[in-house]
Amino acid sequence: MAVPVEEAISALSTFSLEDDQPDVQGLAVQLSAERYATSSPIEYADVAAYRLSLVEDTKAINQLNSLIQEGKEMSSVLYTYRSCVKALPQLPDSMKQSQAELYSETYQVLDLEMSRLREIQRWQALAASKLAVDMQRFSRPERRINGPTITHLWSMLKLLDVLLNLDHLKNAKASIPNDFSWYKRTFTQVSVQWQDTDSMREELDDLQIFLSTRWAILLNLHVEMFRVNNVEDILQVLIVYCVESLESDFALLFPEHYCLLRVLPVLVVLASSSEKDGDSLYKRVKINRLINIFKNDPVIPAFPDLHLSPAAMLKELSGYFQKFSSQSRLLSLPAPHEIGPRETQDYQRRYLIINHIGTIRLEHDDHAIRFASAMNQVILMKSTDGADSEWCKEVKGNLYDIIVEGFQLLSRWTGRIWEQCAWKFSHPYRNADSQEPREISAAFSDYEKVVRWNYMVEERKALVEVVSYIKSIGSMLHQYDTVVADALWETIHAEVQDFVQNKLAAMLRTTSRKKKDLSRILSDMRTLSADWMANTGKSDSGPQSLQQGGEGSNGNTFHPRAVAPTTAQVHCLQFLIYELVSGGNLRKSGGVFGNSGSEVMPNDLKQLETFFYKLSFFLHILDYTVTLETLTDLGFLWFREFYLESSRVIQFPIECSLPWMLADYVIETEDGGLIESVLIPFDIYNDAAQHALVVLRQRFLYDEIEAEVDLCFDQLVFKLSESIFAYYKSHAASKLLDPAFVFASDNADKYSLPSLRYDALLKMKRVKLLGRSVDLRSLIAQRMNKAFRKNIAFLFDRFDSQDICAVVELQQLLDVLRLTHRLLSEYLTIDPFTPILMEMQENVSLASFSGRLASQVFTEMQNDLLPNFILCNTTQRFVRSPKMLHQPIQKSSVPQGKPSFYCGSQELNVAYHSFAQLYSKFFGLPHIFAILKLLGSRSIPWLIRALLDLLTVKVNSLESKIMVLQESFPKSIGLVPFDGGVAGSLRVIHEQLHWASTSEFKVEILHCLKEIGSILFCMGLFDIVLREVETTQFLQIAPWLGLVPGNEGQVQQDLKENGNSPIISLFKSATTVIATLPSCPSPSSFLTMSKQAEAADVFYKNNLHSGSVLEYSLAYTSAALDRLRSKWSSNPKTGFIDITTSKDFYRIYGGLQFVCMEESLQDASRKHECLGDSVAWGGCSIIYLLGQQLHFELFDFSYQLLNVAEVENTSSGQSMSSDRTKNTHYPQGWENLIEGAKKVRRLNNHVFSMLKARCPFEDKTACAIKPSGAPLPRVKYENTVSAFETLPQKAKISSSFG
Amino acid sequence: MARAGGITNAVNVGIAVQADWENREFISNISLNVRRLFEFLIKFEATTKSKLASLNEKLDTLERRLELIEAQVSSASHNPPAFS
Repeated sequence: MAVPVEEAISALSTFSLEDDQPDVQGLAVQLSAERYATSSPIEYADVAAYRLSLVEDTKAINQLNSLIQEGKEMSSVLYTYRSCVKALPQLPDSMKQSQAELYSETYQVLDLEMSRLREIQRWQALAASKLAVDMQRFSRPERRINGPTITHLWSMLKLLDVLLNLDHLKNAKASIPNDFSWYKRTFTQVSVQWQDTDSMREELDDLQIFLSTRWAILLNLHVEMFRVNNVEDILQVLIVYCVESLESDFALLFPEHYCLLRVLPVLVVLASSSEKDGDSLYKRVKINRLINIFKNDPVIPAFPDLHLSPAAMLKELSGYFQKFSSQSRLLSLPAPHEIGPRETQDYQRRYLIINHIGTIRLEHDDHAIRFASAMNQVILMKSTDGADSEWCKEVKGNLYDIIVEGFQLLSRWTGRIWEQCAWKFSHPYRNADSQEPREISAAFSDYEKVVRWNYMVEERKALVEVVSYIKSIGSMLHQYDTVVADALWETIHAEVQDFVQNKLAAMLRTTSRKKKDLSRILSDMRTLSADWMANTGKSDSGPQSLQQGGEGSNGNTFHPRAVAPTTAQVHCLQFLIYELVSGGNLRKSGGVFGNSGSEVMPNDLKQLETFFYKLSFFLHILDYTVTLETLTDLGFLWFREFYLESSRVIQFPIECSLPWMLADYVIETEDGGLIESVLIPFDIYNDAAQHALVVLRQRFLYDEIEAEVDLCFDQLVFKLSESIFAYYKSHAASKLLDPAFVFASDNADKYSLPSLRYDALLKMKRVKLLGRSVDLRSLIAQRMNKAFRKNIAFLFDRFDSQDICAVVELQQLLDVLRLTHRLLSEYLTIDPFTPILMEMQENVSLASFSGRLASQVFTEMQNDLLPNFILCNTTQRFVRSPKMLHQPIQKSSVPQGKPSFYCGSQELNVAYHSFAQLYSKFFGLPHIFAILKLLGSRSIPWLIRALLDLLTVKVNSLESKIMVLQESFPKSIGLVPFDGGVAGSLRVIHEQLHWASTSEFKVEILHCLKEIGSILFCMGLFDIVLREVETTQFLQIAPWLGLVPGNEGQVQQDLKENGNSPIISLFKSATTVIATLPSCPSPSSFLTMSKQAEAADVFYKNNLHSGSVLEYSLAYTSAALDRLRSKWSSNPKTGFIDITTSKDFYRIYGGLQFVCMEESLQDASRKHECLGDSVAWGGCSIIYLLGQQLHFELFDFSYQLLNVAEVENTSSGQSMSSDRTKNTHYPQGWENLIEGAKKVRRLNNHVFSMLKARCPFEDKTACAIKPSGAPLPRVKYENTVSAFETLPQKAKISSSFG
Repeated sequence: MARAGGITNAVNVGIAVQADWENREFISNISLNVRRLFEFLIKFEATTKSKLASLNEKLDTLERRLELIEAQVSSASHNPPAFS
């Protein structure tokens, strides 16, 4: 049952609480008590126990403290006061009759606000009188009570500060008197009906005077104080204490520092305005010391957006305090706006963080490292049992020193931010080059001038850095709060005990004989704080014996006890030390630790002073979390109540808000060192919200902050995901960029990227935001999923609005996107790329094979590529014909996207664009490659089938037109006679081809043939590309399947001894080995794996030999032609070749070809360009598939003409051998014709040879004539190409076309 | 010096102070351990949140994948002719 507490707690650490979230945010959740050690949690009730007769003093302290508390509440009411009058509605003319009602309503609203002001007025009067009474009571020269203690002095200073703050607020808030006058007006209207209003009116007048008098609170305080004229002494003590604390500046954290700075000028004014001896002050404190302090800090932060200036305050107050106005040296200090340009430069060097950032960076790094090493030592110490006590003490002392240093650093840095803010507010933005900016700067609001435009880029950077240093050190210290707490207590305990047991003993020995008072104080100090029992753990030596008998000269060693002194103990010790040095005399000239006239030895004095200041810092250390919270609170950067009031707007846009400016800056600059700090500005919002709720207690402020945070965080996520996407995109693009190109490029650097570390941010699963925790990672992942989809959609849209040539660009960009996805999914969980692509292609369904992209490609081919592009057989490319036959389909203009939708950065976009440009003017192999890659094995069959269907349609559409031509044939077409020579044969041909040249269908048939040819050529290209891909795949698969080349180059399978391919045997053997191991957790999964290997084997083996696309297409075309075979290729009844009356297809094509050739020669620029070489592909393929190739080669008109020309050429060559150099004697034009015919023949031969190779017919013409010479009736031949097995059923084709 | 100060009963105060030190040692010990307990709870909560977030992420992914597969299958079963 009884488990020791320590053991139970340390057992908790055995839980593993790994958390992979990086610390890139400050503290947001804190457990902190309401009251804390720096002000006693029990209101110094325990002070009485020490019997120091401090009852009166304690009572006074508590009274002042509760006044301070109330005063702070009052000042937050004043600070957050917003004008009610602004919100009052104006009555339209039609409702004038209800004016009275409006007045009474307004009165009720305003009355509530005014009652608060009235309360403030009452309170300040009360506080001033209490403070004055308190001061008077404790400053009598003939003292009857102990005090004031140091704590008491602080309470007085703080209350004074609160009162002053109220005064400043009242002076600065213009809306308060404004509201009041409105209130008074409504009051006169409303009070008409009331009975007795005189007292109320009086009260109103009172309030009016209070509100409209500047410095009303201070003047009242002055009156109260000097009612009995003896507060000079205590004022002087306060001033001396202020000055000394400010000068030593050891124990002060920045809030206290500023508090003293704010109070000091007023104290000086009050002290020197005294009737009695105003100048005695300057005897105690040299005026130069004051001037130095005032000069050092020309601006003092007071409120988030309001600063104070001692010089200006002194000047203004001199008008109210006659005696003070003679202090010309103090009054000649320049106010902030009067500082000369050279001094301004000097001050700027001090105030602007940018000038200190280097030091701060060093301090931060150094401190972080030393803290970490100290922590390691502490942890090591805790894990070693029975560690050497000396070493323990050293480790703990070291830790203590580092933490003190940490607090001081934090205080200094946060103070710097406050000061920079104050400086910026006092020096609004002025445009340096002021030629045109007059109206621009007039257009800026005041707040924009002091904040938005007042921070240069480097200043924003420095500010982000400092803020993140503060937050990171803060959260680092906070994280180890409970680990270091006992070590800190122990060190403090040791310090105190060392002082009271050892140092005091030494002092006692030297002083006790002469000075009774001194020795009594010294022994009192020992009594109230010494912990004798901690000595060596054995309590053999009681306090009495030690007190009386004195100690060993070498000092006591004591066991450390992890207990800190209480606030009351510190309070009493401070009091006693103060008593000791000042001798209890307020009038004593000189400073607190000034050695003039003190009865203590100078050496001891030094020790006392050190201990005195150490004591006051102990409290901050004991207040660990609260101090941290105060020191890292940066919420003030958001507040702007004064500027809101003067700007007459409800709230400023987020661009003017400093936190968002910083966050925005981090995202925009994409600075690798800052990117992890992007969440830090949101800590400012957290702080501000905390401040609004806890300190200011204003719900509307919190609501405003919340609204702003909502907006900003949305913006942040949006901008962050944009930049992450762009970053990874450009990263991917620069990786994929052709290395040869980069190598050859002049400045390749612009294609490489600085690396940015987004990965820490991508791990943030709980960003702390106004008490909520937000999963940033999933938010970004969501946006990424969306961005990928949007990007793909954009690329498709872009492709839609371009022609088919852009397919290469599309494929490149999709590749970049795919790599982007791969890079990003290392850090984020996003949807896999293929499903996204499928989704965007609307291709998700298992039954769908034609996605958006596939149909787009097909549509482009059908509507643009086939009709409008012409084939060049030599280059194997299609190029756009300059003469559009078909009107191109109207496309929407090419959409323009963000750079991140292409390749990220601008330079990469240019590079990729110029690559894509190379492929944008033709269609060829690269495009087919791209199409294959884009559509994949899923949609390519669909595309091929669709194209072949189109081909069938085209073939069928030829039927009727060819029939018309066949009908218009002359009765007989004979062979071209050789005797007429070229000219004669031409004439004959022209006569015979009358039908062709005049037919209206000529062009249409040619185009149809061209498209058929183009499709077949494309199939050829597909065939090449698929072969290449398959070969690569084969080479990859072969070793796994055990495929090896045989003796004759054929593929054969080399199987292992058990008849398995290598992949199966590999997995099987591995499985058997693993499954036999006893430690194998799940052998079944390995068995499954080896089964899967078998499946893979079968799958890949069966896929090895896929057919050729081209062969398939040719077979398909042949099947499509089957229906027309009887019409286009009639079987002669005789069995012999029918020459004169044949109306076979080859005849028609021959005629068209000749006519077309002739026309193209007449107008060389025209015809060829809109038909190209694919007509030959179409015509020849049909001829070949109809089995008419030989007929065609025999009877084609141009071939015959060529024959004639050849004969003629030979004969004329023989007859005119002398004229051999002149090869030709044709009339002009004929030689072109002959050349054209030759070209045509070459092209046709090329096509035929290709067809023969890819689609051979087997022995059929050879058996057409018997050896005896008797003709055989023609046998119906079959195409016997292997690919034909896979041909679709004929019935099905006809049904689909029919 | 007209001083009203000075501990009137130094011996008794000394004993009381000594007892106070010892009592407070106990109190600090307890309060420190309570704070450690709280710290543990806070850390525990943070870790749990992280783990839940990762779990959520995984479930999200699975859910979406399931949706996709469902869509694929349902579309396939709605278009039976493609398989006949």
